[in-house]
Amino acid sequence: MVDETTLYHKRKRPAEAFLLSAVYGAASMSVILLAGMVGYVFFKGAGTVSWSFLTTAASVLQKTSGIGGNLVNTLYIAVLTLLAAVPVGVGAAVYLNEYAKPGKLVRLVEFTTETLSGIPSVIFGLFGMVFFGETLGLGYSLLAGAFTLSLMVLPLIVRNTQEALRTVPDSYRMGALGLGASRFYMIRTILLPSAMPGILTGLILAAGRIVGESAALLFTAGSGSRLPKPGAGASDTIRRLWEKAHESGGTLAVELYLQMQNGRYETAFGIGCVLIGIVLCINLLLKLGADRLGNKA
Amino acid sequence: MREGMKTKQNMLCPGSVMADRKKKAVVEGIAQAVFGVCASFVILVTASITVYMIGKGASAFWKVGVKEILFGTVWKPTAEKPSYGILYMILTSAVGTGLAVLLSVPIGVLTAVFLAEAADKRLAAVVKPAVELLAGIPSVIYGLLGISLLNPLMYRLELALFRDSPGHRFTGGANLLSAALVLAVMILPTVINISEAAIRGVQPGVRAASLALGGSRIQTIFCAVLPAAKSGIVTAVVLGVGRAVGEAMAITLVSGGCVNPPLPFYSVRFLATAIVSEMGYSSGLHRQMLFAIGLALLIFIMAVNTALTKIVKKGAENGG
Amino acid sequence: MERSKISVRNLELSYGAARALKNVSMEIRGCAVTALIGPSGCGKSTFLKCINRMNDFVEGVRIRGSVFLDGEDIYDRRVDTTLLRKKVGMVFQQPNPFPMSIYDNIAYGPRLHGIRGRQELDGIVEEALKGAAIFEETKDRLKKSALGLSGGQQQRLCIARALAVRPEVLLMDEPTSALDPVSTRKVEELIRNLKKKYTVVIVTHNMQQAARVCDDAAFFLAGEMVESGPGDVLFSRPKDRRTRDYVAGRFG
Repeated sequence: MVDETTLYHKRKRPAEAFLLSAVYGAASMSVILLAGMVGYVFFKGAGTVSWSFLTTAASVLQKTSGIGGNLVNTLYIAVLTLLAAVPVGVGAAVYLNEYAKPGKLVRLVEFTTETLSGIPSVIFGLFGMVFFGETLGLGYSLLAGAFTLSLMVLPLIVRNTQEALRTVPDSYRMGALGLGASRFYMIRTILLPSAMPGILTGLILAAGRIVGESAALLFTAGSGSRLPKPGAGASDTIRRLWEKAHESGGTLAVELYLQMQNGRYETAFGIGCVLIGIVLCINLLLKLGADRLGNKA
Repeated sequence: MREGMKTKQNMLCPGSVMADRKKKAVVEGIAQAVFGVCASFVILVTASITVYMIGKGASAFWKVGVKEILFGTVWKPTAEKPSYGILYMILTSAVGTGLAVLLSVPIGVLTAVFLAEAADKRLAAVVKPAVELLAGIPSVIYGLLGISLLNPLMYRLELALFRDSPGHRFTGGANLLSAALVLAVMILPTVINISEAAIRGVQPGVRAASLALGGSRIQTIFCAVLPAAKSGIVTAVVLGVGRAVGEAMAITLVSGGCVNPPLPFYSVRFLATAIVSEMGYSSGLHRQMLFAIGLALLIFIMAVNTALTKIVKKGAENGG
Repeated sequence: MERSKISVRNLELSYGAARALKNVSMEIRGCAVTALIGPSGCGKSTFLKCINRMNDFVEGVRIRGSVFLDGEDIYDRRVDTTLLRKKVGMVFQQPNPFPMSIYDNIAYGPRLHGIRGRQELDGIVEEALKGAAIFEETKDRLKKSALGLSGGQQQRLCIARALAVRPEVLLMDEPTSALDPVSTRKVEELIRNLKKKYTVVIVTHNMQQAARVCDDAAFFLAGEMVESGPGDVLFSRPKDRRTRDYVAGRFG
């Protein structure tokens, strides 16, 4: 029993010292894991990354093993996906926040958004393959991959836009409506600009997911890695870009998977370096955005 | 500018105020309809994924038989007399996910405690971005690290453990244990982030009350704050389970890939990895079976989600 | 004259550059109710939290001076603050029950301090609930969540929770400001009973309440303790002009 007659007696708590060290241990483990993983990928892959690695396409004839084609494909898919997903996602969020009255429909939309965000990417891949690939006849193409991914990142964009819309003070809405502005005018001129940072956050997060995704693309966009040929003149370029969208194309992550499957670890680690570099940039962008927002508030 | 022009127009032809209002109403109506369609699109997408998966996956259950599929242990889809039992894959997914959660939750929750309650702000400023970055690393990279770093280590352990057991089939380190470790690291950021939010969400009064009763800082965290954050932490675990069950690319190669009962040093195949590794060459009933596996996964995830909604609702009622 | 339970000597407290308490010295009698009054922001709550060192958790706070509890300086380096807080309990402005059952709320403190026996805990819980005059209302729902209780019941539960660790001093920081008049009356009645066993220090912005419950009172203004003494003297014949103005302003 502890002596309670005097306050001048610090109790010893061995169990607590243990718990405290467990807390610190766990935290440092997370850091070490990350640092170890990132460090290892760079250590193994940095030597592979070179200018020609980044700009040439893999070709047996020219004896190149670059990932230029995959880089272009990744960009293609990211842009196409966001073009498809952002308007719909933002629109859905605006409807939920500004038009819908709380009730069954809103709850249904929120439940389905939740469900959609929990569906594993393999399932998106299966669905994309049969729906975009077979039913719509897009086959293995960048377009099919992008459509599939746009469904996958939709919840992310809806959720971030909703968050952003919620932080816009009601007084802005009232002010604009009070001046006689129509609701749509108010949304266009007041709401969306104020919510823009949140929408951009959603967009960047979605870009991160797209870049890292592989399971949903394997059976939709396939694994082509050809570099697009420059077109002659503007209309020809556009035509070629459009044709390219209908060709199969593997993103960096898909290419990494295929290289790894074939035991070519050197190339795989090289791609890993590039991917981690992109992820780092995305995190930096988000951080900068958050800081700027923080300063504004 | 635009407003000014409008008024001028209105002054020139007095009848157009009505027309203008009408036009405005039409634009309003169209805008609302377009936004409404966007929102319904989310429902449509989820519904069509479900319908397609049922349409494509249920036929296999119909042809092969629910019992044969769910309780059969032999997976030989390409044999002359094919057999489509996925019991071992189901068990592997369950055991692998369970192991991953068991490893990940203690570390994740403790890290969340560190982030939310740590006195040392400078250390927290190192850990937080690390966790965020961990969340952003693509799953293929986890897979790559798994086979090139973890598997050789695991193989050494395997060699040491089974040196004297001639019956053991060596896996080169690609086994259930490796896969569970990879999954554990993968779900760590999810567990950390959601637990941290839950811990931060605990009413400050709870901390103050515990401290004022003579609780030490550690006692306060573990006896008052964590129980109060219970529902949030359960949410973290459930989401972690969802992520681990659905993950495929990181563990297809790391887990070995043979259909075996889920024992730590066996080469195994998960539900999700079966889809990825066989879809490329499958056809006919085999292909339908892979969709059936997808359907099973989807149903499981939906059940998890429904359970989650219930937990969160209950948590809100208890104020935790 | 009996020896004081708590005596405060030259207590100074500052947050960064702001001085919240300026050279406060006062004596607090044992087994009596002492009320701390004054306009909001005068430092009375801050002073209260100095008595169980809850201010230690506030970032950037600096404290000088001494607070003696039964002759021991609680700001001494050797002091075990958890034991101090066990002896000096606290009830907060907002009722803050844990999101657990009523029983677990009360048993929380004793469990922290190592009491595990089922029967012993049962006894403590019953005693504490009776001590806070809430046993009759809760005895059939001890396993139910404490959050299902009304605000007034929650506050009495929090008092019971504080009593369960068998403190010697009970600090109350505006314990009725979030309650309705009926619940307030019940809590006041409870406070008057508590002084038989405990030393009670209560912060209140409500002077009628102070007059109803206190034996002694102290008036705080802008971080200074202006005047202290028996409650009836302080309220009817204050010595200091500032106290007189404040009391008159409030009563008139």
